[in-house]
Amino acid sequence: MDFKLGEKEKVLIDEIAKFAKQELPPDWKGTQLIDQECTDFDFEVSMSKKLAQKGWLVMSWPKEYGGQGASHLEQTVYEMEVSYWGIPGAWMGISGIQWVGPVLIMLGTDQQKKKYLPMIASGDKDGYWCTGYSEPNAGSDLASMQTRALRQGDHYVINGQKVWTSFAHNARWCWLMARTDPNAPKKHRGLSLLIVDMKSPGITIRPLPNYYGRHHFNEVFFDNAKVPVENLVGEENRGWYHLMQALAFERRSVGPIIAGGFRRMVEDLAQYCKETTYEGKPLCQHPIVRQKLAEMAIDVETIKMFAFQFTWRLTQGAIPVYEASRNKLTGDEIMRRFATSAAEILGAYSQADPNSKFARVRGRIQGAYLGFPGNMIAAGTAEVEKSIMAQFRLGLPKSY
Amino acid sequence: MDFGFSEQQEMLRTMARDFLAKECPKAKVRELDKDELGYSPKMWSNMAELGWQGLVFPEEYSGTEASFVDLLVLMEEMGRNITPGPFFSTVALCALPLLKFGTKKQKAEYLPDIANGKAIWTFAFTEQSASYKPSELTLSATIEGDDYILNGEKLFVADAHIANYLLVVARTAKSKNPEDGVTFFVVDSKAPGLKIERIPTMAGDRQFQVVFNKVKVPKINILGTLNKGWEIVNFTLQRAAALKCAEISGACQAVLDMTSAYAKERIQFDRPIGTFQAVQHKLADMLIDVEAIQYLLYQAACSIADGEPSQLQISIAKAKASEAYQNICIDGITAHGAIGFTYDHDIGLYYRRVRAAEFAAGNVDMHKEIIAVEMGL
Repeated sequence: MDFKLGEKEKVLIDEIAKFAKQELPPDWKGTQLIDQECTDFDFEVSMSKKLAQKGWLVMSWPKEYGGQGASHLEQTVYEMEVSYWGIPGAWMGISGIQWVGPVLIMLGTDQQKKKYLPMIASGDKDGYWCTGYSEPNAGSDLASMQTRALRQGDHYVINGQKVWTSFAHNARWCWLMARTDPNAPKKHRGLSLLIVDMKSPGITIRPLPNYYGRHHFNEVFFDNAKVPVENLVGEENRGWYHLMQALAFERRSVGPIIAGGFRRMVEDLAQYCKETTYEGKPLCQHPIVRQKLAEMAIDVETIKMFAFQFTWRLTQGAIPVYEASRNKLTGDEIMRRFATSAAEILGAYSQADPNSKFARVRGRIQGAYLGFPGNMIAAGTAEVEKSIMAQFRLGLPKSY
Repeated sequence: MDFGFSEQQEMLRTMARDFLAKECPKAKVRELDKDELGYSPKMWSNMAELGWQGLVFPEEYSGTEASFVDLLVLMEEMGRNITPGPFFSTVALCALPLLKFGTKKQKAEYLPDIANGKAIWTFAFTEQSASYKPSELTLSATIEGDDYILNGEKLFVADAHIANYLLVVARTAKSKNPEDGVTFFVVDSKAPGLKIERIPTMAGDRQFQVVFNKVKVPKINILGTLNKGWEIVNFTLQRAAALKCAEISGACQAVLDMTSAYAKERIQFDRPIGTFQAVQHKLADMLIDVEAIQYLLYQAACSIADGEPSQLQISIAKAKASEAYQNICIDGITAHGAIGFTYDHDIGLYYRRVRAAEFAAGNVDMHKEIIAVEMGL
């Protein structure tokens, strides 16, 4: 048993700190922890390129695909620190780094690897990806998706609608799941994964602003959009199983990202409480505030340990299933506690818009407060995650 | 980074689990609940034969030089089994500070007897306010020739009725900083003027009021340095908090296991209740808390074993564990339904121990305040 980081990881932490201080504007508000979103797309792309030049962007990929062959632990530390500093552009859209690359490395054809991996690894905006899974009638019950990709000669013809498509408006490619066999005996058979060029004719993107007005989501409509057959990822009609793999890659980053970003927010809030006077003494001397901050420190440590434990399981050759759900759920609960508690500490100032001079703590508390309910739904609701844990870890009967 | 226990530690765990299952089944726990002594002297000496009390002592004091993490493994199993007895008082609260701060002579005199199961010790710290703050220490020790005379009262002292010695924290000088003027004394439990009265508790464990009426203690029985005892308090409470966490960790795992098993076998509406998401989700919440306690605790324990500053990690683990233990028991009982509320069901044995566990080595609020201080607030 040993919980110390190695020299390599310590050096990496220092280098990322140096990089962040050098490359980010002094008044940088950070990316939203909730969606890693940056409102200045050009700046985001410029940072992707710099991360690529540093050799960090795809550090965990094998060297032949532009990576460094970095260890799981280095990758985890990198994700924590990028999130801590709020460095934008680290994910190449919603999915480029986290699951498109890893799944292509595992399942892609040589041609696909040659074409798409360098685009992602370079940090160029042509390497930005969105992901098309959810549909209006396929949320938690994802396998009931209806968007069709029917083969006609050397193309699939796509018809249907995706929704909650994060980042579709800036992505060059879509990692799309669609139904290739409408007559399959079970709904999760007959699905396939496809690479879709978002510039193809027949694709319409409609913004779907969230309740605080941010444009993160989109609806994406496919009207006879054509996709060449060589864009099929893995086997036709085996997409559901490939998707499980992709989700496993997606969930591995949840722990580190929340652990890093959350640690920063608690530090910033603690600093604010030291500097702010309330009723004649520093805010941080008020017992209730101290207790709240202490509770946040417990949460910081908990999600950090969960993230590292997940990473350790990977190094043991395990495919962590319930641990991914545990980390996602814990991250969500922690953000909820943080956002509501921090808003109480800020009092009336918690309402002030992030960019206004009345905002406190770089406006991040408001972002967390408005954003966490969305985060609790994305990539699996609490209800879905809890059911996974009950079934896969505790061996309880399937409930749905 | 390595979240795994060593092979040796896994062996120790298996050995402890087997031993406790055999020597201390729940029927025995209930029997000891009503027993006059509240522990089994035979089990105590069997533990000593396995080397448990002296696990972390050097060989010269009849120990096996195991690490703090090994001791944690042992205490997790005792917590899982809710083994009644003076192990925590003797080893966690007294033997560890004796080992660290005792003179060669003191160590040679006291530690082998602990390791061999001949001596039981307890720690007397809290008083009327039941607080661990230095300002609340008022039991006085005044010098008279070669002796100190102790006057005052200690409360919630565990196992005082069977202890051969008490490690008593007394005030030897008044000063502006209440941390100064604190001194540790080794007190023979048979010393004249020492009177104990049991505090009946919900757990059925043995806690006492100990009154010191002109109790004479030889000067040579000071542990550490006169007036500089607060350092020993910190040392002791840190380790005790981590080891109490280990007991909590084992207890929580046991409650989760029994609740999960019950959810699979209890049939209502023609199916196991574990099929219902309302029950599943309760169990998932319990699972998350169990794992949080474990990893926070293991991190703190490794830090202690490595001799690094560990206060923050210990307080985080203890605050989390104390709160979660309570929640896990309540969720566990309610998932069981009415059967969980009965005397005959084991789950109540765990719930009844929550309050003592929370109080031991500092309650939730105290540790949250320590965390705040450690954060620089």
